[in-house]
Amino acid sequence: MTLGSDPRGRRVAVVADSLLEGLLDRLDEEGYGVIQLPPAGLDDETTALWLEQVAEHVAEFRRNGYEVVLADGGVHAAALERALAGLGVGDLPPLDDRR
Amino acid sequence: MAKVAFLAHCLLNQNAKVEGGAKTPAMWRPVVDLLRERGYTLRQLPCPEVAFGGARRFWGVREQFDTPLYRRHCRRLAKLVAAVMEPHLRAGDDVVLIGIDSSPTMGISFTPSAPHWAGKPDVGEDDSVLVPGEGILVEELEAELAERGLPLPKRTGIRHWFADYDPDEERRRLESVLA
Repeated sequence: MTLGSDPRGRRVAVVADSLLEGLLDRLDEEGYGVIQLPPAGLDDETTALWLEQVAEHVAEFRRNGYEVVLADGGVHAAALERALAGLGVGDLPPLDDRR
Repeated sequence: MAKVAFLAHCLLNQNAKVEGGAKTPAMWRPVVDLLRERGYTLRQLPCPEVAFGGARRFWGVREQFDTPLYRRHCRRLAKLVAAVMEPHLRAGDDVVLIGIDSSPTMGISFTPSAPHWAGKPDVGEDDSVLVPGEGILVEELEAELAERGLPLPKRTGIRHWFADYDPDEERRRLESVLA
C-alpha cells in the first residue's frame, strides 16, 4: 500500500469532551477524524498523561501533512499548547465556526 | 449507573489506520452510532501504533510488534486508560471495551500473525492469518487492571477487515455486550 490508497480524509479535529457529542455528525460529514481531549473529573496527573499522548498523535499527523484543528472551548488549550511546543509543534488553528 | 464505552482510537479517527486500512474518511459509524443510540459516553483510547510506528508505518503482525520496548510503550498508555477506567469499574458502571479484531495492538478475540514476516517490506500477497488472542495494548491493559485488582470489562472487537465480515453479525455481537 502507498500514500493515498484509502479514503481517509487526512483531516483531524482535536475536540473537547464536552463538545464531542454535539460536533460528531458535523465532523464526520466534513471528513474529520477525532482526537478526544480529556474529560472533566480526572486528576491532574491523568489529565496531563492524556494531553501528552494527544500531543504525540498530533505531532505525528502534522509531521505527515495532515490538517489538524482544535475545538477546545478553552479548557485545555494552554496545556495542550505547552505539550505541543515540547514536541516542536505550533498552535493548532481552531475549527472554523461554519454552521 | 453510567454507561461508558472505551473504544479503539481508529473508530473515531480513521486517519490512525495504516495506509490502506481506512474504511471511511473520518469515523466508523456503525459502532459509534450504536453506542450513542444506547446512551454510552465515549472514551477514545490512544493509538499506540501511530505514536510508536508513525503515520507511515507498514502493516504489521503480532510477532513484529511484540518487543519489550513496544510493550513498555503500550503499558504506559495502559496506565492512562486504566486510571480513567478504574473509577467506573469500582462504581459498578456499565463499562465496555471495543477493540479491533484484525489488529496486533487492539485485538480482542483475534490478532494477525505471520511468524515469517521480516526484512524487505514486499511480502506480496498478504499471507498473515488471524489467530485467537488479544492485541498487545489489550494484554497490557489487562495486566495493569489486574495489578489494581480489576478485570477487563465486557469487550468485543470490530471485524470490518475480516474477509467474511458480516455487519449484521457484528451488530448482534456488539449488542450482546451492551446494556
